[in-house]
Amino acid sequence: MKTTITEKEGIITIAVSGELDTDTTQAFRSEAEPVTQRKGVNVELDFTELEYISSKALRVLISLQQQVIAGGGTLKVTNVQPAVQEVFDMTGLSASLIKD
Amino acid sequence: MFLSEILHNFELVKLNLTIRQGILLLLIVFGLITGGVTYFTVRYFWGLDVEKEYLDDRDDMVILASQIETGLDRGDEDPFRFVEATALIQAKDENFSYMLRDSAGIVVSPPFMAGKKIPIKHFEARTKDGFGGMARVWGYDCFVIFYPLSHHPYELVAVYDYNYVFGDEARTLRVFTFLMLGIFLAVALLTWFWLTPVLESSFARRQRAEDELRVAHDLQQKAVTHDFDVDPRFEIHAELRAMKDVGGDIYLCGSLGEKLFFTIGDVSDKGTAAAFMMFMLSSFIRSRVQEGVSLDVLMGEVNRLICKNPEYEMFCTLFMGFIDLDTLEMEFCNAGHTRTLIDGEFLAQDPQLIAGIVPDYVWHTQKLQLHHGAGLLLYTDGVTEARDESRALFGEARLQAWMKQRPAGTSCREDCEDLLQTLASFRGKAKQNDDIAIMSIKIK
Repeated sequence: MKTTITEKEGIITIAVSGELDTDTTQAFRSEAEPVTQRKGVNVELDFTELEYISSKALRVLISLQQQVIAGGGTLKVTNVQPAVQEVFDMTGLSASLIKD
Repeated sequence: MFLSEILHNFELVKLNLTIRQGILLLLIVFGLITGGVTYFTVRYFWGLDVEKEYLDDRDDMVILASQIETGLDRGDEDPFRFVEATALIQAKDENFSYMLRDSAGIVVSPPFMAGKKIPIKHFEARTKDGFGGMARVWGYDCFVIFYPLSHHPYELVAVYDYNYVFGDEARTLRVFTFLMLGIFLAVALLTWFWLTPVLESSFARRQRAEDELRVAHDLQQKAVTHDFDVDPRFEIHAELRAMKDVGGDIYLCGSLGEKLFFTIGDVSDKGTAAAFMMFMLSSFIRSRVQEGVSLDVLMGEVNRLICKNPEYEMFCTLFMGFIDLDTLEMEFCNAGHTRTLIDGEFLAQDPQLIAGIVPDYVWHTQKLQLHHGAGLLLYTDGVTEARDESRALFGEARLQAWMKQRPAGTSCREDCEDLLQTLASFRGKAKQNDDIAIMSIKIK
């Protein structure tokens, strides 16, 4: 798991590559939190290079999103690959997390 | 704490010693090592210094005659053991002679133990000008040096006074000895009065945490169904392989007269909190099902129950179903749980949210017509997300392939055990990374 954080035109993009599973979610969380804890940020999680997500890792996505919303911002997931999309669909989280 | 990790995994635990006993044992070993190092260092340097500094430059005496009897002469087991030495020595002045009589030392250096000191017990002066004496290897007053000849017998070379020769060295080495003793005492006291209590409390904390986990583990085992022999019209079996650090996999099943109720779920997160949540859900679902509540309503209630405790950041994937044993119609409700396999095909279902995130989310139920002989496999993501040594996932495809190749007529128990076996051989040397729960149902 690797994250790259870029900021452009008021949108902060966190690109995640590799795998988000039980072993790596905590690292992902601590890397993303400095961004999501800011007030009123618009965050996009770019999953172009994310190969796999475990359902446990979804919990982190949700609490990150709740954190951002509490600060008056938005958090959406973009460029979801089919294997990861399946997990989002299975758990019914596509609607709330994935950007149209 | 690192040290307690080591000690905890160390043999001491297996020997069933308390921490104090273990530390005492280590201190005794440490004391023996320190003592040994001190003893041999003193012996080594003492001998060498004497040999170097004093042997050649003595001009205060003349050796008139000498004789030594060793173990070799007597046929002892240890042939080199020094037994007796006699010497006739002429001192060049009276003072030296007198001093020798009081506490003479003969230092021995056979070829195989250069510098070794042998104290002698008794030395007898005979005349004013010279004397002979008998030296026994015993006591602590005197030392002997023999210089090696090419072969036996050894020749007695010099007779020195212990204090006269060794004054400075003796002092240095005495200081060294006390220093070593001091180091040992400091380490021993520090270990005993500071480290031991720290280790003990860290052990106690660890023990408490383990006890807590054991309680949670028992809860998890007790929360799931164990009685699968409920109705002759269907067969059901389930297996749970929980991780040591306690997870939240759950399954329940039971007959409600004309209906079979079954559910499988996975409370996210590990640890005691997840196990308690799972235990609570299991009791709640059990009693609500018996009260005849419908699945969509029940799912909403479960959802609100989890949402009440947002600080735990928990959620739960849950699949619940009824099978009507007359019509064989299955009604099910799925909150984001893994896809159930029916006769080797994945159940088509509407995606619905996992429970515990949105308090007012509304779930709906779906229906499916089953047939006699139909087989269902429910599982948690510990199955599909099992990893082998190269970190490849077991995945849905392998699971589906496994189910398709199961021979007809096997019992649900055999199926569960075979799947667990398949997963174990898939993992190989990789460790189980999540709870695994499997439920197999067959309609007769």
